[in-house]
Amino acid sequence: MKLVTAIIKPFKLDDVKSALQDHGVQGMTITEVQGFGRQRGHTEVYRGAEYTIDFVPKVKIEVLADDGDALTVAEKIVEASRTGKIGDGKVWVVSVDNVVRIRTGEAGADAL
Amino acid sequence: MVTSLRDARAGLLADGALRGVTFGRALADLLDATLAELFMPAGGRTRAAIVALGSYGRRELCPGSDVDVMLLHDARGRARPGVHALAERLWYPLWDAGFVTGHALRTVKESVALADDDLDALTAIVEARHVAGDAALTADLVGRARDLIARRGGRVLHALAGAAELRRVRPGPVAEMLEPDLKEGAGGLRDLQALEWAAYALREDGTAGLVRRGFLSADDHARLGVARDKLLDLRLALHRLTGGRSDQLALQDQDALAASVGAADADALVRDLASTAREVAWISRDVWARILDHLSGPSGRGGSRDRVLAEGVVLRDGRVTLVDGVSALRVLDAASSAAEVGAPFDRSALVRLHDMDDPTWDVWERAAFLRLLRGGGRAVPVFEALDHEGVLVRLLPEWEHVRSRPQRNAYHRFTVDRHLLEAVAECARLLDAADETPVEFDGVVARACRRPELLLLGALLHDIGKGREGDHSHVGARVAEQFARRIGLDSEGREILVWLVRHHLLMADTATRRDLADASVADGLAAVCAGDAERLRLLYLLTIGDSRATGPAAWSASKAALVRDLFVKAAAAIERGAAVSVAADRRDALADLLGRDDAAAFLARLPDAYLLAFDAHEAAEHHDYVRAGSAVKVRRHDGRVTVTVVAPDRPGLLATLAGALVVCGLDVTEANLFSTDDGLAIDVFRATDPFGRLSDGVEGVERALADALTGGLDIDRRVAERRRDYRRPGERGPVAVDVDTDSSATDTIVTVHADDEVGLLFRVASAFAALGVDVRVAKVATLGSRVVDSFYVRDAGGAKIEDLDRLEAIRSEMVARLTT
Repeated sequence: MKLVTAIIKPFKLDDVKSALQDHGVQGMTITEVQGFGRQRGHTEVYRGAEYTIDFVPKVKIEVLADDGDALTVAEKIVEASRTGKIGDGKVWVVSVDNVVRIRTGEAGADAL
Repeated sequence: MVTSLRDARAGLLADGALRGVTFGRALADLLDATLAELFMPAGGRTRAAIVALGSYGRRELCPGSDVDVMLLHDARGRARPGVHALAERLWYPLWDAGFVTGHALRTVKESVALADDDLDALTAIVEARHVAGDAALTADLVGRARDLIARRGGRVLHALAGAAELRRVRPGPVAEMLEPDLKEGAGGLRDLQALEWAAYALREDGTAGLVRRGFLSADDHARLGVARDKLLDLRLALHRLTGGRSDQLALQDQDALAASVGAADADALVRDLASTAREVAWISRDVWARILDHLSGPSGRGGSRDRVLAEGVVLRDGRVTLVDGVSALRVLDAASSAAEVGAPFDRSALVRLHDMDDPTWDVWERAAFLRLLRGGGRAVPVFEALDHEGVLVRLLPEWEHVRSRPQRNAYHRFTVDRHLLEAVAECARLLDAADETPVEFDGVVARACRRPELLLLGALLHDIGKGREGDHSHVGARVAEQFARRIGLDSEGREILVWLVRHHLLMADTATRRDLADASVADGLAAVCAGDAERLRLLYLLTIGDSRATGPAAWSASKAALVRDLFVKAAAAIERGAAVSVAADRRDALADLLGRDDAAAFLARLPDAYLLAFDAHEAAEHHDYVRAGSAVKVRRHDGRVTVTVVAPDRPGLLATLAGALVVCGLDVTEANLFSTDDGLAIDVFRATDPFGRLSDGVEGVERALADALTGGLDIDRRVAERRRDYRRPGERGPVAVDVDTDSSATDTIVTVHADDEVGLLFRVASAFAALGVDVRVAKVATLGSRVVDSFYVRDAGGAKIEDLDRLEAIRSEMVARLTT
């Protein structure tokens, strides 16, 4: 089993969600996060008041997937969230030792 | 015995005819009978009694309630084993039949000693009920307990009042939480019990004593009785449904619970519960306020002298009182004063609120209503009081639709009505932020608002359309329109208010779902705002207030950053849009002054941005100066100084003029620098005259500028002298230079952040001249002791500078020159 984690632009969340649902993904976890990559933050001035955005708002998506499916899931996320501009984010895949569905106690691939 | 007890309990549970109070009595009777049958003398001369405590004592047992029972005895030493044996004989059948017990084996002395430093233990035994055995022993315990609680009166009452106040925060008010706790929530069963305990602490026997002492009105006492029955009934139904593991009415159980108590649907159930709990919470808070007042004595709060808060409204003994008539204006004045001073209404004032005349919504009533909204968080209890007395729906009949209305989604914490009041409170807090120093970003926006009252009205009404057919924003906008007409809001205010309610979700939705890097998104929002910066500001603040009032899931640093980003971009879009129409108007006005052909010929020699910097009258003057080929003109108006210089353009001209102005003691706040296509510079400085140098006339400055242009003034030396003379003591702040190539299509923007000091503009301009950079616009913004100067620059050939190496060279050279 794999955990696919993606950091994307917030407004792309709906697109990614539909793409993954169309692909048959059953569930995902969403977190609002902030950070910076090569895009860095920026400074804005409004009426002489200056404010700095050191960390840019992003959405983190986490999806558990079968070994065979993980790369496709990652690919779907990349397709759905790409704008081609700086700050589009990243996707990575890591191995998962085990998964348990708390309600039923099902484990491993059954719990996905 | 065990099976019969178990079966009898199951029988009670299955008997649907047993509701609330009757079930509690039936189960208590069953336990009483069982324990009485099990009871036997403990042997010898030992006295013993079975005493029921807690909900068992009150005969208010629900299926999941713990059965609190105590075996009271007077055994010592060798007689102890006898009472232990009796206790086991009593407890085991209860455990075996599946009851969860809170059981104790104590002497009267042990019980009282325990109660001495444990409020829960004390409140338990003041309500102890004799079940079996030696009744005199029980009576002894109860007598001592009631004596103890009365002696501890003040301390106990303060502790109980504090606990009641805490329940409003956690678990929160039953009437206003979407998943209320029937027992521990404010307005729940615990509030009712606490009032019973309060009575004992005041040496009264039960809440009837509170009525006799004037802490509780007879009407409210009757209401509490009805409320108790209803709360118990719902708690019983919930326990039957869920197996009694929790007193919290979870969203997932509400449909089933509604069906089991015969409510039309879950919404009807929750609203009915809410109106009951709202009454309990309100009465409870009122009684506690009166009791605490009583404790602190007649002069405890506010002194005995009346303080006039408004005509016919006084603060007396810490309470807001109406001294004569109850016109709507008096009521509104009293309400807004109560919010301002944070004091409750006097009992007599509350009663008289019923008799309020219908509001006429004249200018005074409207102002008082807005003042009430401005009270923010402190206005919430005042609104509760107005609601309790039926006054709120007379001021705002639409409130009836949202009153205690539940909303089923993962974000909301509160019912609609409480959410609206919270939103008003959050928005009032944002307006307060405008007066803070140092002022934060949102405070700057709030400070710029021309119509802050529309923000408060928008917050009060934004969800008023919930619970009606159709999209709540659209429906709410229609309701807001009617309300605005009724209270006589001016037409501009009405239009903006309706617009705010209509679009209250727009900014949050756009910020989180659209690509803010796409300029058309901000332009679109600017268009919805009809190019009105005020609408954008109000919508921005309402978005924050609404989100914060919704619940922790609805507002995060991340969302805040997105919404702010959208706001700044849309504000810039509005400014640009405004600029285009301003330029068109000025072009027409200049044509009127100069004639169409002359005006067109003059403007054709200048860049488009020229008309954004100057109005038609200034442009007409420039037209004359340009025709003459040169000019130096200084003008004073309203304490501000405008310096206009027309001269052949050359590198370093800005530095020369800026230096000359420093030498003359003027502070430049803005410089607009243009060149005609044939190389004539029009440089205009806006400045202040902090030393009053111009009070004797402007000729000295004009002469100095003319000297500077011909090289007859040693500017470098004179500026250096002044800089030394005016140097501030202490450490200097850092110098930062930012280069921005994105914000303008035609210019590179260089921003300099540095300590404010004499001649800074001159030094920056000299640096630009040395670097071969042409400055087109300079804006100087002073923020306390710091300045942020922005320069729109191009290279000597008039092209935008985009080469990264060149920009870095400019940046580091600027920093180096300004740091020395």
